[in-house]
Amino acid sequence: MLGRWILLFILGITAALMAAPLILTVFTSLKPTTELVNPAWYPPIDMTFEHYVRVWTEGGFSRYFFNTLVISVIDAIVMIFIASMAAYAMVFIDFRGKIFLQILFLIGLMIPVTAIVLPLFQIVRSFGLLNTHLGVILADLALAVSVFVFMFTSYFAGVPKALHEAARIDGATEFQIYRRVVMPIATPAVVTTALLEFLWSWNDLLLRLLLMTRDEMRTLSVGLLNFQGTMTRDVTGLSSGTVIMAIPVVLLFLFFQRHFVRGMTSGAVK
Amino acid sequence: MAGLELKKLSKAYGNVEVLHDINLSIADGEFIVFVGPSGCGKSTLLRMIAGLEEITGGDLMIGGKLSNSLSPKQRNIAMVFQSYALYPQMTVAENMGFSLSLERRPKDEIARKVNEAAEALKLGPYLDRKPGQLSGGQRQRVAIGRAIVRQPQVFLLDEPLSNLDAALRSETRVEISELHQRMATTMIYVTHDQVEAMTMADRIVVLNGGYIEQVGSPMELYNKPASEFVAGFIGSPKMNFVKGRFADAVGAATLGVRPEHFVVGAGDDAWEGKVTLVERLGHDTILYVNVPEAGVLTVSLSGQHDQTVGDTVHLKPKMEFIHKFTNEGRPIAA
Repeated sequence: MLGRWILLFILGITAALMAAPLILTVFTSLKPTTELVNPAWYPPIDMTFEHYVRVWTEGGFSRYFFNTLVISVIDAIVMIFIASMAAYAMVFIDFRGKIFLQILFLIGLMIPVTAIVLPLFQIVRSFGLLNTHLGVILADLALAVSVFVFMFTSYFAGVPKALHEAARIDGATEFQIYRRVVMPIATPAVVTTALLEFLWSWNDLLLRLLLMTRDEMRTLSVGLLNFQGTMTRDVTGLSSGTVIMAIPVVLLFLFFQRHFVRGMTSGAVK
Repeated sequence: MAGLELKKLSKAYGNVEVLHDINLSIADGEFIVFVGPSGCGKSTLLRMIAGLEEITGGDLMIGGKLSNSLSPKQRNIAMVFQSYALYPQMTVAENMGFSLSLERRPKDEIARKVNEAAEALKLGPYLDRKPGQLSGGQRQRVAIGRAIVRQPQVFLLDEPLSNLDAALRSETRVEISELHQRMATTMIYVTHDQVEAMTMADRIVVLNGGYIEQVGSPMELYNKPASEFVAGFIGSPKMNFVKGRFADAVGAATLGVRPEHFVVGAGDDAWEGKVTLVERLGHDTILYVNVPEAGVLTVSLSGQHDQTVGDTVHLKPKMEFIHKFTNEGRPIAA
C-alpha cells in the first residue's frame, strides 16, 4: 500500500514537471500585458486573446502556419510511401545488394543531422532549391527515411510470409500485394510514421533556418525567433506563438493515440 | 486439370542439397500425398511445384509444359496453406474472390463463383465476416474455397489440417476427399500424419532425408513396404521391429511385425512377455508387452480383452504377414 502511494507521488511529481511549462505558457499567452508583473504561475485574471490575434496577423503566423502545414503534411504522406515501399522490398523481396542497402540505412540512422548540415546546404543550393518548400521537404525525407524504413521493416517482419505467398499464388504482382494485402494491415505503422514525421517536420528549426531565409517561406519554429531579440523578449507573443504551434500536434496525438502506441510497440512484441 | 512430371528435381540451399533427384509422375486428377517426417523435404517439394521455391536442378512439367521458371500465377495452381493465410482485412467473400478480382473479372461473375464455392463448403452465412470472426475449421474452409474459386489445374495443400482439433480434422479430411471426387482435379497434399495419407491418397509418396523412399497406393505401402523406414512410418500403431535371435530365426537382420499380426496365447514356443500398459479403445485393445531380448512390443487385439498390467502373455507372429529386412533396411523377399 505504501509502495503504491510512493509510486503515485513520484508519478504525480513527474506529471507536474512535464505539464508545468505548457500550463505556464498557456497562462502567459492569455494574460494582458499589465498582469505580466505577477508571478508566472498566477492564472490570468482578465483573460485576453489579443496576443494570439497580434501574432497571427502582425507576427506573420498565418503565413508561417500555412508553410509549416504544407511542408509537414507532404513530408508525412511522402514518407509513408517511400519508407513502406523500401521496407516491403527489404522484407518480402530477395534482390542483389539487399545487405548493402540495409547497411546504408543503418548508417543513415547513426549520422546526426548537425554533422552533415553544411554539405546538405550545399547540395540543396546546387539544385537551386534554397528558399523553396521542395528543398526542405527533400532534405527532411532524406534525413528521416532510415528511421521509418526500420520501423516499417520491423512491422512487416511480423506479417506472416504465408500471406505474401498466398497473394503470389492468387496472381498478385508485388505492387498489388503491397497495396492490397500488406498496407491495409499496417495501419499502426502508417499512423505512427505520419505522426512522427509530421511532428519532426513541424518542430524542426535547424533545416528551416538554414534552407529558407526569406520571410515569406518561414515556418512557425523560425517565426518564433522573431519574438526574441538579443536584449528584449516578447514573452506574450512567444507564448501565444508556442501555443499556436503546439495545438495541431496535441490534437493529432489525441486523435491517433491508440494507433500510435500500437505502432510503436508492434515491432517489439512480434 | 493437368498431370505433373517431376524429372530429376533437386533443391539446394548453397552447398546443402535438401532434395535429390526426385522423379515422379502424377496423373491428371490423381490425389497424391507427400508424407514423411519433419525435415524430409515434402513441403519444399510442394513449394517448388507451387513456384514459391526456385528449382535448383531438373525439370518440372505441369500439363506437359516445362514450368521451372513460370510464376505461381502462370502455373495455374492453387494452394491451401497450413496457417490458412487469409487476408485479415478482407471479408470471406473478398478473400475467396481476390484472385478473380486481380484478373479484373466482372463483379457478377466473381460473386457467382464465390457463392458456388461457399455453397459447396457451407460458408454461405459467413461471406460478410472477416477471418478473425471465424473458427479454425471455418477459416480452413475459406482457404479451400479461395483455392476452388480459381478452378486451378492443380491443387496444392500444405498440411491443411494440422491446426485443427482431432474431431474437426477427421471431418475436414472427409470433406477434402469428397471435394476431390467432385472436382476430379489433381491434388497434391502434404502431411506428416500417415493416417491422413492412408485415408485420402490414391498414391502416397514417402519422403525421407530428401529422397523418395517409395511411391504406391496406401495398401501397397502397407503390405509391401520398400524399406524398413516405410514399414515403420506407415501404419498405426507402428510396426514392431525385432532384432537378435527372433530375427535370426527367420533369416533376417530385422524382423518386422505389425501390432495386429500377433496371436496372443499361442503356446509354449511363443514369445513370453509381461504387459506393461493397456490401452482400451473399445473396438481394439492395445497391449504393450515387454519381451526379453525383443523389447517392448505393441500388440493390437481386435475387440475387448481382459489383460491387465503385469500379466504374462505369450505372443506369436502370424508368419504369413511378417516382414524381413536386411541390415541396410531393405526388404528380403518372402
